Amino acid sequence: MEQIMFSLLNGVIYGLLLFMVSAGLTLIFGMMGVLNFAHASFYMVGAYLAYTLQPLTGFWLAIVIAPLLVATLGVFVERFILRRVHAFGHAHELLVTFGLAVVIAEVIKILYGNFPVDYRVPSSLNFSAFSLGGMEYPFYRLLMGGVALVMFIALYLLLTRTRVGIVVRAAIHRPRMVEALGHNVPIVFMSIFGMGAGLAGLAGAIAGAFYTTNPNMALELGIVVFVVVVVGGLGSMEGAMLASLLIGVMTSLAVSVNASLADLLDTFGQGEWAREVGGVMTLQLSSLAATLPFFLMLLILLTRPSGLMGEKE
Amino acid sequence: MMKRFLCCSAIALLGVGEVQAESLKVALVETLSGSQASTGLLYRTGVNYEISKINAAGGFRGEPVELAEYDNQGGPIGAADRVRAAIADGARVILQGSSSAVAGQVSEDVRKYNLRNKGSEVAYINMGGEALALTGDKCHFYAVRTSPNAAIRFQILTKGMKELGLLGDKVYSINQNYSWGIDVQNIIKEQAEAVGYTVVGETLHDVNKIQDFSPYVAQIQQSDADTVLTGNWSNDLLLLMKSVADAKLNVRFGTAFLDQPGNIGNAGAVAEGHILAGVFNPELNPASSALAEDYKAATGHYPVYVESTAIFGMQLFGAALKSLDKGNGDVSAKDIILAIEATTIQTPTGEMSMRAEDHQVELPMIIQEVSKDAAFKVDGSEYGFKPLKAYSAADSRDLVQASCQMKRPE
Amino acid sequence: MMKKLLIVAIFLTLLAALPALVAESMLNVSVQMLIAALFATAFALLCGQAGMLSFGHAAYFGVGAFATVHAMNAFGGEGLLPTPLLPLVGALMGLVVGLGAGYFSTKRTGTYFAMITLALAELLHSLAPHMRGLFGGEAGISSFRMPAWGFEFGSITEVYYLVLFWTVLCIALLWGLTFTPFGRLVLGLRENTNRLQFLGYNTHVLGTLVFALSAAFTGVAGGLQAIHIEAANYVFLDAHISTAVLLNTFIGGAKVFFGPAIGAATMVFFGHITSDLTRSWLLYQGVIFILVMMYLPRGIVGETLACYRGKAGALSWMILLWRFAGVLVASTGFVLAVELIQRFFSTDYKAERMADGWPSISFAGFDWAPFALGTWGLPLVLITAGIGLIIYINRRGAGQQEART
Repeated sequence: MEQIMFSLLNGVIYGLLLFMVSAGLTLIFGMMGVLNFAHASFYMVGAYLAYTLQPLTGFWLAIVIAPLLVATLGVFVERFILRRVHAFGHAHELLVTFGLAVVIAEVIKILYGNFPVDYRVPSSLNFSAFSLGGMEYPFYRLLMGGVALVMFIALYLLLTRTRVGIVVRAAIHRPRMVEALGHNVPIVFMSIFGMGAGLAGLAGAIAGAFYTTNPNMALELGIVVFVVVVVGGLGSMEGAMLASLLIGVMTSLAVSVNASLADLLDTFGQGEWAREVGGVMTLQLSSLAATLPFFLMLLILLTRPSGLMGEKE
Repeated sequence: MMKRFLCCSAIALLGVGEVQAESLKVALVETLSGSQASTGLLYRTGVNYEISKINAAGGFRGEPVELAEYDNQGGPIGAADRVRAAIADGARVILQGSSSAVAGQVSEDVRKYNLRNKGSEVAYINMGGEALALTGDKCHFYAVRTSPNAAIRFQILTKGMKELGLLGDKVYSINQNYSWGIDVQNIIKEQAEAVGYTVVGETLHDVNKIQDFSPYVAQIQQSDADTVLTGNWSNDLLLLMKSVADAKLNVRFGTAFLDQPGNIGNAGAVAEGHILAGVFNPELNPASSALAEDYKAATGHYPVYVESTAIFGMQLFGAALKSLDKGNGDVSAKDIILAIEATTIQTPTGEMSMRAEDHQVELPMIIQEVSKDAAFKVDGSEYGFKPLKAYSAADSRDLVQASCQMKRPE
Repeated sequence: MMKKLLIVAIFLTLLAALPALVAESMLNVSVQMLIAALFATAFALLCGQAGMLSFGHAAYFGVGAFATVHAMNAFGGEGLLPTPLLPLVGALMGLVVGLGAGYFSTKRTGTYFAMITLALAELLHSLAPHMRGLFGGEAGISSFRMPAWGFEFGSITEVYYLVLFWTVLCIALLWGLTFTPFGRLVLGLRENTNRLQFLGYNTHVLGTLVFALSAAFTGVAGGLQAIHIEAANYVFLDAHISTAVLLNTFIGGAKVFFGPAIGAATMVFFGHITSDLTRSWLLYQGVIFILVMMYLPRGIVGETLACYRGKAGALSWMILLWRFAGVLVASTGFVLAVELIQRFFSTDYKAERMADGWPSISFAGFDWAPFALGTWGLPLVLITAGIGLIIYINRRGAGQQEART
């Protein structure tokens, strides 16, 4: 029982981390209509900036300044690169963000080297919150989850309850009309992109201390974040939260399941045959834990492509 | 680097009246860029260091050994392309080490090239691909491995830890789901009875895809293990260790790749007390410290991770070349391989030699512990690797695999 | 028409004579360039002509490669499938898998279609290392080119001709396809799917067929790759292969038939040359991607053709030349800056620094003092000069155009 609790808690926290990173992406997708390959790179830049700032300003100030710097970077990218390419079509926007991701990764390798850097949780935060089933649960994980929740609530309130939020949502659906009403739509888009980038930077600054900060961070997280956004519904904040939690819990629980297709077929009496066939049949679910999100993505795309909470087209 | 070849051949052509042997060309086909470059660059430094030592001591048959570097861009396609380019540029020996997958491709490419071009064969020195198959069913005459393999690492790790009293009775084995990890998992299981422990749980997980190891930590805790043995490297090792430490589980890690740069710096106190089965330790004896200091003078840092494996591999190669020094003209790959088989060298850690049956090197292994008392700190942290016990080559060797059916040339 | 045929004939003769003209190491790259060109052209059938952006074409490339490798091992170059006919296996496998994948993928359009293709490819990529019998683990499956039809297929020259034959054949077939009614319908898929449906065509079937054809020719490219390196590895299924072909296609120009082929060949050649010259070649490649997407949206070939046909506005050769000069100057400055920065931050330099103060960085035969004005001033001046030149020329050109109208 405690093991399941532990796995669930882990899954939820991991899901919240995924939400932190994908919140910005789903917001940007809702606005631009194109997936931003460089989003995970903003995550990485946030981590590295926080690492650089930590000895200068201390941990707390570093995780405040780093996302602001990443947001500025995002604003620059939108203003000078994406705006130009927007007119050429979705494919071009996508490829530009891909080129950007490559450039960011290479610049980081030049400046910081190829190996993981020494960005660690400060000792003041490095204690355990409680113990569950004989294991200690680190406080920092709860902090990460907490930040993700606060982010979600803040974004939700911002988008649904404030004037700015209404303008933003309107600009996403009917940019021309909003422009006609006198709002400066390009500035709105620029700030949304900046905010999305800043959120990713915040996620990086916080998570980079707990996980490793290395030049391949973007690659490691990149694909899963896409899965989250697609499963949740492109453009839906609540969907992203739901999808992140779902994927986090699913991955976490799957690790403890050592069953395979052959075991399933045992119930039909075909277990022996399946084991002889080997290959896919004897693959244990636990070793497929990182592959499960793709199954989920495929399932959603084929049955309900707008995602769990996206809008039906 | 290619330009160096061309320029030297041009000069050789211009050499009036003298009949000189062309210098021996050696090609390093490594991952020098892209996401996996970190290890490849270390091999590059180690190889460069030792080759310049070989040249400082007179080179080969009066000419310096020429080293050219080729970037295989991280995968088998690039590697196949570069091996061909290297051979076309005149390389007689191919060096590579950072990846078992690439090692497999290079080994096969060399074998096929040699089959098709009898009389101008090339040799392949595998400095670090540790999957067993490379000296198992994929072994062939023109390939030699100068690094340990999964069997050597984990046989000596389990034996050494047991003898030092660091191995508990309950071992949890967690590894990456590819040939190296599966090899390690099998070895850990095989050694259980001989060394005296029980494997209370084993897991294979996706390679470099997992960020959150806490579910695995939960399983380790459930199994009540006191030792975790793993062949993981890079993020998979670091995140696993940190996860275990966060849960404040009282387990000791036995690893093969804990000394990868960045691990200790990032893990800090979390890594204290964990064990590494490694090839070199600067603190072992005065000769090792001298080597470490000399390396630092030449490259600016103490040898880390695979650099020592590369150095020893090249030392064996250099000694083999020395034994062929007396001859005249060009040397064939067959002579080089035979010379490597016949050479035994004394490295600072002990005696090292190449087995003729499967071309696996036999070399001393050192059981080391992460400790504040280490004389040589790593990653700029306050921790380093303290050598606990060194095992000679004879004690560390693995058995020749039955799957290796090497066909020797006449 | 005659002019086009003449150009094509000259080009083909050049390609056929290549082994006599270049060194052997260049032949190796040429084979890779041909394979990449075929892959890109097959991909562009789906992406450029049918307008369906696929993120997972590596799957069909890999499937074709593995099918060919298994066939190589099974038939040993004789019987039904002598070595020269092996790419047919790749085509067949690509077709079959493409039919299945296409059926599901084309149920959706736009971004959802792209996501499905990505999911399928990633799924295959994740599962492949587990299915050792089929995909051979991370060492892959290796094979051996057997002699057939009187050829040894041992030397790179013979491999080159084999690959050249298949590439030219497939590209010619794809070229011919554009003239058939089916080819026109495919264009219709890109332009206006609704209209096609009103005209009575089943766009789902059409989409699936196009997908399958594209996958089939991609399978041929995969087969050729397997024949070339005599191995297939599950890294052929990796996402970066899918993104590479996507980038190559758009750099060349997705809407022009020969654009993707030329773009792919150029990028492979660029990668080969620069990866041995500098450590930061990926950075340069990324910057080139960004700049081409921003300033040459029709792709290199697309923009060239548009210039040639006068669609990009009347351009004099002088303006083009000056622009080119500006680009050259700015790039020199940029490369200089990047190389200096890379060396400044490298671990080797940090080591030298520990020895004594701030030693100078040696690059391109010169010694650059790290804090001298000239060291950073020169690249800065070059970059500003180059960009300034381009802006000035653009303004002048625009001014002249306005004066004319």
